[in-house]
Formats: sequence, structure tokens, C-alpha cells
Amino acid sequence: MLEIVVASGKGGVGKSTVSSSFLYYLSRKDKAVTAVDADVEAPNLHLIFGINEWEIVKEYREGWIAKINYSKCDNCGICRNECPFKAISFNEGKYVIDEVICEGCLTCTLVCPQKAIYRVRSVEGLLRGGKTKYGFPIAGAKLRVGRPNSGKLVTEVKSLAKELGGGGSVYIVDAPAGIGCSVVSALAGSNGVILVVEPTQASFADVKRMHKLAKHFMLPSALIINKADINPEFTKKILNFVKQENILYLGSIPYDDLVPKSMAEMKPLLEYAPESKASKALVKLSKLFEEEIVDNWREWFRKYKPKRPEPYIPLIIKPTQNKVRR
Amino acid sequence: MKVKIGVTGGKGGTGKSTVATNLALGLREVRDVVLGDLDVEDPVDHILLNAELKGEKPVKIMLPIIDYSKCTSCRVCVKVCDTGALLSSREGKPFILPRLCSGCRTCYFACPEKAISEGGRILGYTYLTPVSVAGSSIKLVTGVLREGEEHTSPLVLAARARAESVADDVLIVDTSAGTGNNISIALKGSSLALAVTEPTPLGLHDLESILELTQIMGIETWVVENRWGIGPDNEILETARKYNSKVVVKIPYSRDIIESYIKGVPIIKYRPSSRAGESLKELVLMVEEVI
Repeated sequence: MLEIVVASGKGGVGKSTVSSSFLYYLSRKDKAVTAVDADVEAPNLHLIFGINEWEIVKEYREGWIAKINYSKCDNCGICRNECPFKAISFNEGKYVIDEVICEGCLTCTLVCPQKAIYRVRSVEGLLRGGKTKYGFPIAGAKLRVGRPNSGKLVTEVKSLAKELGGGGSVYIVDAPAGIGCSVVSALAGSNGVILVVEPTQASFADVKRMHKLAKHFMLPSALIINKADINPEFTKKILNFVKQENILYLGSIPYDDLVPKSMAEMKPLLEYAPESKASKALVKLSKLFEEEIVDNWREWFRKYKPKRPEPYIPLIIKPTQNKVRR
Repeated sequence: MKVKIGVTGGKGGTGKSTVATNLALGLREVRDVVLGDLDVEDPVDHILLNAELKGEKPVKIMLPIIDYSKCTSCRVCVKVCDTGALLSSREGKPFILPRLCSGCRTCYFACPEKAISEGGRILGYTYLTPVSVAGSSIKLVTGVLREGEEHTSPLVLAARARAESVADDVLIVDTSAGTGNNISIALKGSSLALAVTEPTPLGLHDLESILELTQIMGIETWVVENRWGIGPDNEILETARKYNSKVVVKIPYSRDIIESYIKGVPIIKYRPSSRAGESLKELVLMVEEVI
């Protein structure tokens, strides 16, 4: 079993295009693969594989939401002042909890002197699984809009994927944009990271942050430059970074109008336009990915894992004097 | 702050930051503008404006510090912790995993022995940068999450608060990709939201989630169709209508945008008379009219 995360930090640089190509390519070569869409806020991978209906749809109810019992509330306002996420506001004569902000912690419930606040379980999203028409399974989820803690749901998606894919499968995890909660959950327990970057300062800055996170997890990385020809001079900077940071450079993909067109057709690019220049580059990359990473993971890990451990170190401020609770 | 406008979109890479930076510079001709980059996981507005971040302030959240001389191993703190940041050893003594702690203070209020005191942890930083592009000066407030930290919402909140405190007139906020509560925290208090999307089924799918969110929040939303021309867009128009929204402007896909992006000068200043520049100017005028 091998679990590889495709990540970039910045959104829209080609994570799903790369993931879908790897999945399509490996499945054509009769390798057992499983698609894992770790973007639960804006899930898109299934659209590339033309999935409209899911075989498995499970409610995900792990979250909580606070509610106010107005018959007990005396409008003291302590809850509003103590809410760590500023989800409570005073509106038209009463305190209201904003359901698209509340994270469901118990703080307001505990501080309310009238015991007027309680919390209820809420349906936070849908966990979804199925089989693509290319024969391999796919797992994903959709978090309800405005809800927190997407990371927990990502962990659920990954365990659903394991159920569907079984022991021998290669798991390709399409990470969400960012470097926060759900990306950390996507990386946890994985075996390596494919970084996708565009030759722009914005994407490069974000991929560096992403790589730092991969190093916290002691994961080896490989890198792909997408839309390399939009700014060829910049690719040198990226190649220097690849060398300095001991990352495996897989190659680049040229800009190609057929990429969005294949999305409109809801088909992987390699199937929609196998002769296009982006497809040719992606086939080459997929082949390298298969040889260097899938078939030879130990070697890749040995060569490209971070040289020094770079664990995450929290910046902690000790209280100067023990502030005693009132 | 007199008026707040949110720039969002759902899918990543549709052009939120491009629209936000151009809008900020365009509106600056007539109003006083603060731009808040609330994409704390991957802030890029300063890069698009070619500015170096200044005015750093740490964002501190609460971290429980346990006084073991008072702890009776009752495990209440462990039970109330939602994020799994407090675990108990076999003897029942709690210990904290700082990375998982969201700083919600529930354990602090729940501990019957008052054995928990308020320490702190630095989650990231906010910045206040004066930016000047081709004669237009704006203030940029940026939130930056430390790499390795997971809880973005307190940082979005802190960056929003700093942006609101320095904005006397117009505040434009740029949100992260996604549709979770980081977006709603950033958008809260906006009188207008711009949902930037692209004509692909992926852009459309996420646009629908964003329109659902802004509808729940009661924020009037306009759809900005970026990279116009790369695919069919009739469904975007339909989806916008379904949520009582409208597509107000279509920004054609062009090389000019990429060049301006690479140069670090927003297109409204870099090539104002290009087709993309013209459509962004049109958007500025429409926004100006309603505010």
C-alpha cells in the first residue's frame, strides 16, 4: 500500500489535473489505484471522472452546534464576550449564534450563568464513495458550507478510501488548497508528496510553505512545474529550489487550452486529448511517477526524505503568573 | 469602516486575488481603501502588489497550562476537548498536544479544580503594509499562518479585526479557497460579495456552494466570470439566477493578465486598456456605484 499526496498550497495550479492523470495512467496499466479527494470544501476530482451519482453516501455527524434556550437567557452577554470565534452577536434584542461560524466548542455552554446554552449534534457533511467508469474506486466528501474542522472529515475520507481500495492499492490523494487543517490531515499517514507549482511568484511562495509542511512530516517530495511555458525564466528559480531542498524533479507540463476543455467534457485529459502537448507531458510524468515512486518507493524515500528532521515546534508563551479563574 | 466587500469563489485559482487587488487599486481613485488578505494559509496579495510585508504583530491564542499539583485526574478537560488536543496518561493525568489545540478555552472553564491557567501560543502573524502602485496608495492587511499550524479561524478573525480597525472608508477582503467557516468568518459583515469563478464544471460546482453560503449569510452576491472563453458558461448564468445573483462581468482569458501577474503590477495599472483591464475597470465602476 502506498499513499501519495498531490499538493500545491495555492489553488488552481493543477493538482486535480495531475492526480487524475496519474490515476488514469496507472489504472490503464492494470495497477490497483484508488482516488482520494481530500478537498472536502470544494471537492472536484469526481467531476473529472464524470461521476454524478455516488454509490455510497453517508451522513457525517461528528460536529456540534451551540443553541440558546431563550426562555432561560437573560441577555447578560457573557457568551458573546467569551466566544473564541466571535460567533455570537446581539441582534434585534437577543443574542444569536451564527451557525456558519460556530465551531461547536463548549465554552459558551460553560460560561453561561443561566445554563441557557446547550449544544446539539449537527450533520456536518456527506461522506461519499463509488467506482469510476475506469474501474477504480474513489472516495470523497462534501462539508456543509460554513462548517469548521474539515480535517476530521478528511481523515474519514481516507479511511473510507482504504475500505474501498484494500491493501494492495496505490492511493492518490488530491489535497485541497492551503496548508491548514485539512492539508495536515491529508499528509498524516501518507508516504510522500507530489508538489505542483506554476512558474509565478505567488505559486512558488505557496509551494515553499507546502514543502515546509511536508518536511514537518519527514516526507519525501517530488515536484512538477505546470504551465511551465507561461514564464520560462522563472522555472530556473524553481529548479534551484528543487536542488537545494533535495526534491525529485519529475518534469514540466506546458500550458494547453485543451485542459479546461477536457474538464468541460468531464473526462481525464489523457482520455479526451491523448495527442495534446499537455497529455504527452503528463504521460511522461506518469511513467516517471510509476517507475521512480510507485515501483521504487523505498529508493525514493531513502534519497529524498528530508536530511534533517524538521519537526513542528509550537511557539508557546507561558503565563507570567498563574491567572486564577474567577 | 463604512462599507465592506468580500471577494471569494470556492475553487482555488479562479482569480480571487487578481480581482481583489485590481478592485482595491481601481476604487482607490475615488475612495480610501484597505485591502485585507484573509487567505491566511496562502496569502499572495502582497506578491501581486510587489510589496514586502511590514508591521508584524503576533496572533496569540490560548494554550492550557496544567498545574499538576492541583489536578485530581478527573479527566473532565479531556472529555470536553473537541479537537483531541488533551489526552490523558494511564494514571489519568492530562497532557496537551499544542498543534491540535484551537484555543477555545473550554477546558479552562470546565476544570473543577481550577488547575488550568491561560498560557498562549503564537498561531501566526498579521501585517499592515502601505502599498503604492503607479500613484495609488492603499493599506494592505495580511494574515499569515505559521507552517504546521492547523487552526486557521482565530487567525482569520485576528486579521479581519486588524483590517477593520484601520479601515476608515472601504474594506475589501480576499478570502481563501474553500467554502468552510474560514470563508464565512472572513465575509461576515460584508454588504456585497463577489464570487469569482471560471467556466468549467469544477468552477461551477464550487460557485454553487459559495452562493449557498452567502445566501445563508444574507449577503448580496455578484458573480465575476474569470478566464471567460475557456469553456461554455450557460450553466454559470443559470446557477447565478437560481441564487438570485447575476454575472456582472466577464474577464476574458488573456496573456495580459499572466504578464501583469508575473510583473507584480495589477492589470488595471499595468495594461488598463487591454480587454481584461477594461472589464476590471467596468467592475470597479459598478462597485463604486452601489457603495
